This record gives sequence, structure tokens and C-alpha cells, in this order.
Amino acid sequence: MALAGEDFCIVAADTRQSDGYHINCRYAPKAHQLSDKTVIGTSGFYADGLNFVKKIKQRMEWYFHQHDKTMSTTAIAQLISIMLYQKRFFPYYVFCVIGGIDENGKGCVYSYDSVGNAERVQYQAAGSGNELLQPFLDSQIGLKNRSNENETLNLTEEMAIKIVKDAFSSVTERDIHTGDCVEIYIIRKDGVECQKYPLKRD
Amino acid sequence: MEVLLGIQGKDFVLVASDALAITSIVAMKRNHNKTRKLNDNVLLMFSGEGGDSVQFCEFIQRNVQLNGIRRGYPLSTKAAANFTRVELAESLRSRHPYQVNLLIAGCDPDTGVPELYWMDYLASLKKLPFAVQGYGQYFCNSTMDRYYRPDMNLEEAKALMKKCINELKVRFIINFSDFVFQVVDKDGIKEIKLE
Amino acid sequence: MITFFLVLLQSGNEYNGGAVVAMVGKDCVAIASDKRFGLELLTLATDFEKIFKMNDKCYIGLAGLATDVQTLSEELKLKCDLYKLREEREITPKKFAHLVSSTLYDHRWGPYFCEPCIAGLDENNKPFICSTDLIGCINFAKDFVVCGTTARELYGICESFWEPDLGPEELFEVISQSLLNAFDRDSKSGWGAVVHIITPEKIITRHLKTRQD
Repeated sequence: MALAGEDFCIVAADTRQSDGYHINCRYAPKAHQLSDKTVIGTSGFYADGLNFVKKIKQRMEWYFHQHDKTMSTTAIAQLISIMLYQKRFFPYYVFCVIGGIDENGKGCVYSYDSVGNAERVQYQAAGSGNELLQPFLDSQIGLKNRSNENETLNLTEEMAIKIVKDAFSSVTERDIHTGDCVEIYIIRKDGVECQKYPLKRD
Repeated sequence: MEVLLGIQGKDFVLVASDALAITSIVAMKRNHNKTRKLNDNVLLMFSGEGGDSVQFCEFIQRNVQLNGIRRGYPLSTKAAANFTRVELAESLRSRHPYQVNLLIAGCDPDTGVPELYWMDYLASLKKLPFAVQGYGQYFCNSTMDRYYRPDMNLEEAKALMKKCINELKVRFIINFSDFVFQVVDKDGIKEIKLE
Repeated sequence: MITFFLVLLQSGNEYNGGAVVAMVGKDCVAIASDKRFGLELLTLATDFEKIFKMNDKCYIGLAGLATDVQTLSEELKLKCDLYKLREEREITPKKFAHLVSSTLYDHRWGPYFCEPCIAGLDENNKPFICSTDLIGCINFAKDFVVCGTTARELYGICESFWEPDLGPEELFEVISQSLLNAFDRDSKSGWGAVVHIITPEKIITRHLKTRQD
């Protein structure tokens, strides 16, 4: 999942890698840092995810050598959409979200389906637990169904991290494919920090 | 490919049914009656598999009438609708369920309160202010949503019915040519014309 | 006809749509449902309540195929009333749960396509909730139970929102927010909601206005 604040962004993913009822690996990172302003989270078919991230990094490096600058988050967002759509009829089985800081220094999140439909959002859950997570985010970050319609949320980093941890603990409780550990990437203007937070291992 | 419509007004229910009997791609008949009178104030309208629907509805018709004779007073609309539902629900779990979709329109002869019930072949019963059965649902529900008011008089209901029929004529692939319009109110059931 | 039943087996629970949730509080229980009645994605009515009162201290919510919701609710009400006449006392929620379970299991090879949630207070006013699957396997829960097309969404959000020992008003807030936010992410549920809070003294019933899409 990913969520954007005013001048920061959070991308978080659990590290369980499973196949049906079987757990293949308890520490298989699904979130990857692409630059010091962008992080991607992938879910779906793990091998496709890894390969897709590798391809993105390669394209970013070409871009760097050609233009002598790192790709911006918005540029990466567009690139991902194009790369996914290029394989429209044999898609990467990945559902990704990216989070980062855009050109104006604002936090941003882009969410995708497996064939490259992209949307800029404030928050997004993807993967096996997305149905369980999304309504919670709607309520806590989207402030949906509140009696006071003018209520605004001043999302601080501490609050956001707390929400992420709460969300993942809840999903771990009910989704068998989620668990073990969650990696929380906090993307700020001056770089990326990664925190690890243990989850239930059952 | 059949359409039944019903609009509950202030003190009446206006209903319409197409008069087309279809077998495969052939229009067999253009004056087919798809309604049965359950008693003086309750009308049952049906669509669905040819044999099933007539068989089932006549079975219901006779039992509702028998019930009225035995007790000495007619079944209310609600009672008739629930009786029909139980029969259809039982048939649903049998070897050969009746494939029949129904609308039940009625009006209490004493109080004049109109009622319209919608029921599909699964025997889900729902009381609705306006109801459409068959493919017409996809065309007419929005029109009804937009123009329906609970306190409509007969003329207004007729106007709304015309809008719905017109919508079907414009957008639906089948040309029904003829509809049978009936009004159920406290004085009974009578056929009317929409001029 | 056979294909029709095969289709039903796969999607009977998803044909009409619906959401039901029940939660335990401190000396009270809450049960809530949406009010949509539809055929797959076509909405026909928005006043179809899926919660039925068995007695003052026992409610059942049925999500699933509408015809079976109606049939089963009537059958269960009949059985409850007969129990009351025979035993000269009200049925307790736990006994009722077993009654529901055996009623459903009676139809093991041609099941009713609905999943019940039961909520009530027992003879000592202790909260009781449970749910069963469509053939009557009971799940006794200490926190909350959910069913319907919105089950997954409800699981996620209830797991976050629910906490032990909520009073009636807090419980109302929690169950309402859970249900509202959950069914806003489900196209087959919503269009209004109803919440019942059962306390030893009284039953609080509230109808919620929600977004109509």
C-alpha cells in the first residue's frame, strides 16, 4: 500500500511470499527503492514483480545517461504505465503502486492495474489484502462517511506511520497471504528511510 | 423477451403487458393475454417459459379463488402475493421449477389502498411503487425513477406509462406493436386504452 | 435447468448482493445490514432489510440469495414461535444458533444460498454472536461476525475498528462506520443501512442515510 502526505510519502509492503497455503519465504521484499524520491511496491506474481522492477531500473539508468538527471516520480509513473501497456496481451501479473515526491515537493501516489491503467491518488492498497485495507484507508485518510463534511486531515508522518502499522496488523489477522514483517519506506524531500515492523508470523 | 410494467398510483395500479407470444424466432400470436384475475381486485401478470407460466398462474388463480370461496371473503393482495411466493419457492427446489416471472397488482376493495408486487422466477418477492419485468427493466426503470411520484393520478400514470412504452419502441429490438393496459382499483379490474 | 443450478452454486450468494455485520459490546450487541435489493448489478429497491427479529433479545441477519433470505427468515420465525409456545419461554441466541445450523444442514445437498449472522443476549444478558456458512457450520466469535458480498471489506475494517467493552453508543458508531466504509467499496451493497443495538433494557434501531451509488 502507499499513501501521500503534504511533503512526504509512505510506501509499505509486507514481506511474505506465498503460494496457496504454502509460505515460500518470510522475507521477500516487495517494495523497492527506485530513486531517492521514488519507491515502488509490487504484488501479484513475485517473479514478474522482480523482473518488472529490474526493467524499470534499467530504463531509469538509460534515462540517466541520456539526460544526465534522475527520473522524476511523475516520469517514472508514466514510464510504468507505458511498460505495462506494452505487454497488454501477455501482461506482467503485477499490481503495483508507486509513491514519491513530485516536482513540486508534494507527496504523490500512483496506482496501476496489471495492464497499465494509471491513476494519481492520495492513498491506495493493492494485492491480496486490498479489499480489507482499502475501506480502512477510506475512513481514516479519505475521511469518508463523516458527519462533518468540512473536516480536513492534517496528516503528519507519525500519524501516517501509525495508520500503516494498524492497517497491516489488521490485515495480517485475516489475510493468510499477508504477514511476517512490513517494510515501511518513508520518502521525504531529503531522502528515503526504511523501517521494519514485525507482523504476526502465523 | 417479454415485458410487464406496473405503476402504483394514489388509489390504483396501472399495469401493461405486451401481447406477443414468441417461440424461438417466430411471433406466434399478437393478442396473447399474459394476465390472470386472481379475484375481483387482484391481478396476476406473468412472463416466462410458455407452458410453465400459464400452468403455474392458473394453478395460483384457482387456489386463490378456492381460498376465497372456502373462507367467504377474498384474499388480500399481500396474502395472494405471499401465497404465490410460497408455491413458487417450493417449486424452485423441486425437480422441475417453474420458470416464471410475475407482477401482482391489487387494490383493497374497502380501503382503496393499491399494492404492486414484483417476483422473479427465484421467488424473491418485493413490494415496489413501480415495477418492470423482463428486459424492459433495463430501459424503463430509469424513466420511472425520474418521473414517478407516489401521489400520481390516473392521467399522470398513463403519461408515464406512455413514456416507458415509447422508450421501448425507440430502444428495444423487439417490436411489440400491442400492449394490454389494465387498471386495478377498488372497483375492480378493467382494461383501458392509452390514447 | 442443470446449468442454472450450477450457476447458482457458484454465484447464488452474489446474485442479489448484501452485507450483514454483528458486533459484541459491553452488555450489548449490535447487528447491521445494508438495504439494497438488486439483480446482479441492477438495483431494484433500496428498502430491503436483511435483519429479522426472532424475539426481543435475538436477531438474525441473512445475506445471500433474496428468495432464500425470505424463505429462511419465515421458516426460522415459525420455528422460534413454535418453540415459545411449546417451552413457554423465549429461545436463547445460542439455542437459536443451533436451530439455524440444523435447519441449514437439513438442506445439505440443495442448500439455501444465504449466510446468517446471529446476534443476541442470553438469559443472563451476556452478549452472544455467531455466524454460519450456507450449510450450517457455526462460527462462534467473541468480537464480530460478517457475511455477504462485502465480507472481505468488512473483515478488514472491523478488525481495525472493533475493540472490547464498547458501550451501546460507541458500538453504534463503530458498527456504522465499519459497514458504511466497507460497502462503499462494494458495488452490490449499500443504498442505505439499518443498525439495531440490543441492550438488556431496550432495542435501539436506527436507519442510516448513505451515498446512493
